[in-house]
Amino acid sequence: MTIVSGKAEARRPLQSGRSDVLRKMWEHRADYAYVLPAIAVMLVVIAYPIYYTIELSFFNTPPGLQLRDKIFVGFNNYTAILTSGVFWQVTFNTLIWTAASTFFSFVLGFAAALALHRDFIGRGVLRAILIIPWVISAVAASYIWKWIYHSDFGIIGAVLVELGWAERPPNFIDSVSTVLPSLIVVNIWREFPFAMIMMTAGLQTVPEQLLRAAKVDGANAWQRFWHVTFPHLRNVSTVTILLLAVANFNSFIIPWIMTGGGPSNASHIWITHIYELAFGRQRWGVAAAYSVLLFLILMTLGYFYVRALSSNERKEGNA
Amino acid sequence: MRRITRGGAVLRGAVSTALTISLMSASALAAPPVDLSKWSPEYVRSIAGTQDFDTAGDCAKVTPLDYKGRLTFWYQGVFEGDPDLLRQYYKDFFATFRKTYPNIQLEEQALTYNDLLDKFRTALLGNAAPMAVRLQILGGTEFASKGYLQPLKPEDVGYSTEDFWPGAMKAVTWDGVTYGIPTNNETMAFIWNADIFKRAGLDPNKPPATWDDVVKYSKQIHDKLGIAGYGLVARKNAGNTPYRFMPQLWAYGGGVFDEAAANPTYKDIELNSPQSKAALQASYDMYVRDKSVPVSALTNQQADNQPLFLAGQLGMMISHPSDYNVMLDLQKKATGTDKEKAQTVIDNMRYGLIPTGPDGKRAVVFGGSNIHILKPEYVEGGKVDEPAAKAIICMWTSPEWSLKMAYAGSNPGNLNGFKTKWMKERLDSIKFLDVTTSMLPYGIPFPALPQSPEIMNIIVPDMLQNALTGAMTVDQAADDAAKKVKDLMGGGL
Repeated sequence: MTIVSGKAEARRPLQSGRSDVLRKMWEHRADYAYVLPAIAVMLVVIAYPIYYTIELSFFNTPPGLQLRDKIFVGFNNYTAILTSGVFWQVTFNTLIWTAASTFFSFVLGFAAALALHRDFIGRGVLRAILIIPWVISAVAASYIWKWIYHSDFGIIGAVLVELGWAERPPNFIDSVSTVLPSLIVVNIWREFPFAMIMMTAGLQTVPEQLLRAAKVDGANAWQRFWHVTFPHLRNVSTVTILLLAVANFNSFIIPWIMTGGGPSNASHIWITHIYELAFGRQRWGVAAAYSVLLFLILMTLGYFYVRALSSNERKEGNA
Repeated sequence: MRRITRGGAVLRGAVSTALTISLMSASALAAPPVDLSKWSPEYVRSIAGTQDFDTAGDCAKVTPLDYKGRLTFWYQGVFEGDPDLLRQYYKDFFATFRKTYPNIQLEEQALTYNDLLDKFRTALLGNAAPMAVRLQILGGTEFASKGYLQPLKPEDVGYSTEDFWPGAMKAVTWDGVTYGIPTNNETMAFIWNADIFKRAGLDPNKPPATWDDVVKYSKQIHDKLGIAGYGLVARKNAGNTPYRFMPQLWAYGGGVFDEAAANPTYKDIELNSPQSKAALQASYDMYVRDKSVPVSALTNQQADNQPLFLAGQLGMMISHPSDYNVMLDLQKKATGTDKEKAQTVIDNMRYGLIPTGPDGKRAVVFGGSNIHILKPEYVEGGKVDEPAAKAIICMWTSPEWSLKMAYAGSNPGNLNGFKTKWMKERLDSIKFLDVTTSMLPYGIPFPALPQSPEIMNIIVPDMLQNALTGAMTVDQAADDAAKKVKDLMGGGL
């Protein structure tokens, strides 16, 4: 009679599980070989910079010293950031920027996708026109909008004055109270076509027979949208919103070119502030600490993005 | 018996000819420096065209003309605010260098004023800098103090330290060692539109004498004509802002430190002194109280002021003599009635001395650029071709090219450039040059400190923006800026 101890009993499924994983890995060895170069490149261009940024975030880098002469300061950079008034101003700006840009880009993009989902003459042309803001260079768009908004000679101001609706051209980007909303409008203008494309793709997956059946059952347009179309778009909506949010957290070109984060830091968002700290003020350590914090936030968003994608795949698999 | 090849004979002939020419002409090496104590437009006119220089001959003594090598070189080049004339001289310089040194493989890269520092700093961090670099005057000490630059003085490329402006030499000196050579130095002047002055009820031929007058004139122009009076510039991270605000700050008796003193120590911070606050108050009065300057001043650079001035929408501004040529270039691009309007502005463009402060103090930024050689360990490939670097530095800082490369917007870094025939030609062809050369003795260099770029490009513009947007009062903005400078100097985070 063989006596098997409780420990051995517990180890067996573990060992069996491990060998199962190893066997599966061996079976897929060719797949691993295919992705190996990509992983190697990622280690060099992503993993090392992440490690170096984290390391740098614990050092002070005064402008009079070379980076190699950096001084270890522990968590001082993080403390300095969290106790600085500018950090909270920039964080508030970033949250407003990200939330407003993401929400309005999505809503406008979704509305445009719904409008263009119906078949009508000129639909293709209209769709192409609406995509223009997304395909043109962000740098060029920023310079154009800077002139459109120009506080003295911008076209919007000129039209308003000409029509007698304003005495002086409105101050869009030279005022602390209007600069951020003005930049958000430009960002929405640039981003909503992306949401439109994503949602258009999503709309094409909604089964036509379900919509027809709902119509036969007496559902009106709103009910068909709410009970049939929208549930089918939930996953693509989640992915679109997450992608927009990540892109907006990482925005740089529009605020940097149009205002450089000014006036008085009123349009500084995290990335522009990090850029200024690093390249304008050479506070590499503080900029690195900011970057680590931003990285953590983006990783959290990334986690939800991957989860949304996985949930999509699971549902498709179940179907 | 030694055989002499045809190539060798040609080379010897060229070298002996160059030697003869350099002995016949007054060599740059032996030339006495310009007498700065006699400096005036008349003196500049009297010395212009009095001496010939043989640039290739002089540089051959530093680096033989047949030298074979490779050079990577970055420089602050021409940008949208520069006249076409300057663009052509830059092209001519590089073409001439390649012709003079056909065996040096030159890989040059032009960057704008606002991009150069960022890109250069980044390249240094990755040991990927060029072998030689031409930086704005503000940048030299930052990189010298960090040990990136090789010692380099005018004598290393065949010139004498006395051939360059003493103020410019200060900007390339760190801890008693010289790390670069000035290529060009300039001071700006005050520009006004006589037609606008006349229509606003001001004397068209009389610029404001003091900064208080600038505030008054700006208001009068705005109130009478509904256009901007003075071209205030307060954009952050743009060299244009300190170049326009610091003269105002110094004229009122203020400063960041004591940089306006004869022998500055940079010990005490003066940004929140009553005089500095008075200067900031003047900007506040124009922007907030009188609304007599462009609302877009907070996002504008001087390049944005130029079209406003040409459109007759701006009465006064501070800029280079080259702005006259820029106006001519812009006018060529205008069509229809715009062209006529632009011509009226050009005809009414006047240059004068920058106004004084309440106690008669006149000041202007002593600007310019310097050229440096990097240490090999920070250079792409880990090697610096010194003879090749010295060859281009010798050419650029020669009397001939330091003048030509500064033809419309600046002045030659090498004072002997004022003696060349091109200076004479320049005095005849560049309008208002007398005014800007008259401003040179009033020039004050930026503090020769590694922290200067941050102070001038970020802290000073921030102070202006904080006051002008109402985010802080004038007092708070000045105190806040002084505290930032204190933290910076103390090595704070």
